Amino acid sequence: MISFVVSRLLQAIPILILVSLIAFGIIYLIPGDAAVVIGGPSATPEELEQIRRNLGLDQPLHVQIATFYINLFKGDLGRSLTLGIPVMDALIARSPITIGIAIYSLVLTIVIGLSTGMLAALNHNRWIDQAATLFALLGVSLPNFWLSLVMIVLFSVMLGWLPTGGYIPFTQDPIGWLRTTTLPAAALALLQAGLLTRITRSTLLEVLNQDYIRTARAKGLSEWIVVGRHALANVMMPVVTMVGLVLSVLLSGSIVIESIFGIPGIGSLLGSAISNRDYPMIQGGLLFVTTALLLLNIVIDLLYTALDPRVRVKGR
Amino acid sequence: MSISKRLVFGTGLAAAMLASFGATAQDQFTCPNQGGDLIVGLEGAPGTLDQQTATSSAVRNIAMNVFEALIIRDENMAPTPDLADEITTSDDGLSYTFKLRQGVTFHNGKPMTSADVLASFERYKTVGVSRSIMTSVKSWEAPDASTFVITLNEAQPAFLENLSSSTAPVVIMPAEEAGKAAGQVEIIGTGPFKLAEFVPDSHVKLERFAEYVPGNALPGLSGFAGHKQACVDTVTFRMLTETAARMAALETGEVHIVESVPAISMERLAAVEGVELLTLDAFGLNIGYPNWSAPPTDNLQVRQAMLAALNMEEIMEAATDGVFQLNPSLQFPGTTYFSTAGGELYNQNNVERAKALLAEGGYNNEPVVLLTTQQITTMYNTALVMQAQLQAAGINAQLQVYDWPTALATSEKETTGWNFFFTHWTGSAAQGGATTLRNLAAPANIYKPQDPAGDPAYNAAFQQVQNGATVEERAAAFAEAQKVTFENVLAIPFGVMSNVQGIRSNVEGFKPFYNTRVSNVWLQP
Repeated sequence: MISFVVSRLLQAIPILILVSLIAFGIIYLIPGDAAVVIGGPSATPEELEQIRRNLGLDQPLHVQIATFYINLFKGDLGRSLTLGIPVMDALIARSPITIGIAIYSLVLTIVIGLSTGMLAALNHNRWIDQAATLFALLGVSLPNFWLSLVMIVLFSVMLGWLPTGGYIPFTQDPIGWLRTTTLPAAALALLQAGLLTRITRSTLLEVLNQDYIRTARAKGLSEWIVVGRHALANVMMPVVTMVGLVLSVLLSGSIVIESIFGIPGIGSLLGSAISNRDYPMIQGGLLFVTTALLLLNIVIDLLYTALDPRVRVKGR
Repeated sequence: MSISKRLVFGTGLAAAMLASFGATAQDQFTCPNQGGDLIVGLEGAPGTLDQQTATSSAVRNIAMNVFEALIIRDENMAPTPDLADEITTSDDGLSYTFKLRQGVTFHNGKPMTSADVLASFERYKTVGVSRSIMTSVKSWEAPDASTFVITLNEAQPAFLENLSSSTAPVVIMPAEEAGKAAGQVEIIGTGPFKLAEFVPDSHVKLERFAEYVPGNALPGLSGFAGHKQACVDTVTFRMLTETAARMAALETGEVHIVESVPAISMERLAAVEGVELLTLDAFGLNIGYPNWSAPPTDNLQVRQAMLAALNMEEIMEAATDGVFQLNPSLQFPGTTYFSTAGGELYNQNNVERAKALLAEGGYNNEPVVLLTTQQITTMYNTALVMQAQLQAAGINAQLQVYDWPTALATSEKETTGWNFFFTHWTGSAAQGGATTLRNLAAPANIYKPQDPAGDPAYNAAFQQVQNGATVEERAAAFAEAQKVTFENVLAIPFGVMSNVQGIRSNVEGFKPFYNTRVSNVWLQP
């Protein structure tokens, strides 16, 4: 197990190096002079030079790269040009908000996706199967931006069940948190639930055709036990694999969803940073999110290993 | 130096203003109802509330209810004392003496003195958005706790106009804060509301400042000046950047005020019970400017051909869904500097003339790159229609579409790769005079003249707008500058955009303005 973790961590290093180089290069990749964008039209040449000094842009390239990585290893992602606070502090402060919605969304994804996929497989070629397939198709086709707005119109304006946006921290009011995060979580979840429905359906159909399932039925076991005990465990493998992908999509999708619903999470932080050309925040945010996703996927792989004895044996 | 030219309430100016309110000086506004949380849905999400260093409307919408300035613009965009009770100009026009409003305290309880004013000005000179207005200042001093004096290098009759600009006001903060870098200040002002909570990308909460001392010369709110009162207990500005979500929040009553209702939503919202729509007729100027450094727009005849080809009505109809006014001017109708000089070149819609000019200029089908963004619908639609009109006149017009920050940065920094840029002048057009024209003058030169000195005729007129001894002289110079703008095509104004704001029907006292004002607004129980 330890060697597996070490091996995965070592595999993550080249990815982190590549992402950090991209993060460093952002200032050069975006059109226009960063100092002019930050300083604005009123900035004098002296002020522009000061901005370049503050950003380290006046140094030779190799010095800039070295400084960037030295600060990175110290955990210093710089200071936000817009918020005026350390980038790391801003990201850490907002992480719980985005993670909370992502977890809520993941729960919805698994519950909806698994149940719909199982219903479809168990009612293969009947109307339930077709309805579930249609749901899956809509889920992967509809843009979550559009879906969010439709849900606001339906659940907030027409029915008045949920607020149009805003965020109430869980610690302040758990019910308020639930009310303000349900629509954004659902908007994020429906896309992934559609994918999970399809994967669950096809995997379960494959599993249900296996000999050991036929044997279990022949032994007179109830369908609940056949599916629940014997089939479901094998369906979980691809589901677990999907969780990593789902979380990646949820985190990246949060940029749009958080902006629509006015949620002060990492997504809206990065969205604002891009609009405001807050380069330290863009660089730091990119590194932060990428690192988090890499670590997350390592955890997912560990979980996969724990669930599937064949992987554990192969790994020896 | 003898004292003259007092800008004081109690003169004819004030009497006229009082007459416009239909009240006597004793009829100060009082809140008919107090209490409640007023909720405003904002289009933009400010990252800071440091008003001295921020240009965005999103910041002003909030911060101008917290901060005050010595002099600001009133309802008619005339310079009006606010934190100063009296402003005196010396006969030679070199010095301005500001007598401060008495009894004012900051939100942290500290009494405001001229030392705080001086420190705030020192800060603005260093980091302020429009610090270029301070280049004419020779010195300033605080001879006593209630007096602040500015001395100029040379007389500048438009100095108070520049100083009172509400797009980048010199707001007053405690001296201890004034020493801090941009974005690092505690938000402590003198206004009727104080900052209670700021969660970026979520909301800002203001609460009534109980010790607020209002100005008493005007009976009510005028622009951001006047007799301001905090009628509600708190104001929550919610950042709802997505338009549909913001309109939905107004519809459900989750917000009381939204600052901008898109044309496409107006009919629907007008029919919703409990919602009222208010219109600010002249909110912004839809405008664009060519790049004089990049061929073929470095050619005067090509630029003139572009102007000749345009049908402004078609452009504005597409840009604003019909909510517009045609306007052959760089100012809003009815304002001090409004003129139609050069207006015969506006809305020519003359394809034949355009073709003739192109032939005269030796145009050889070079691409004319129209730089725009899809993020701002009015600009994008303007560009689309303009492209079609230019192509009909034989101009090889092509669109270059970026996100707004990239498009803006490209127009500011790059002298190649684009030929025409689309933008809006809202605050700067409303301020009038030199403020409106400044971007087209050296050193800004947004139209990128090959000679950094810029168009000499325009610059000469602009200098006169800044330095003309009387308003009439400055207005005549403005007309000249505008004429040059049209003739040489430094910029092309397409028309005036209105702004429709939405409120819930239990909101009273709210008047649409260029920025959101929450003073003198109350909620019906």
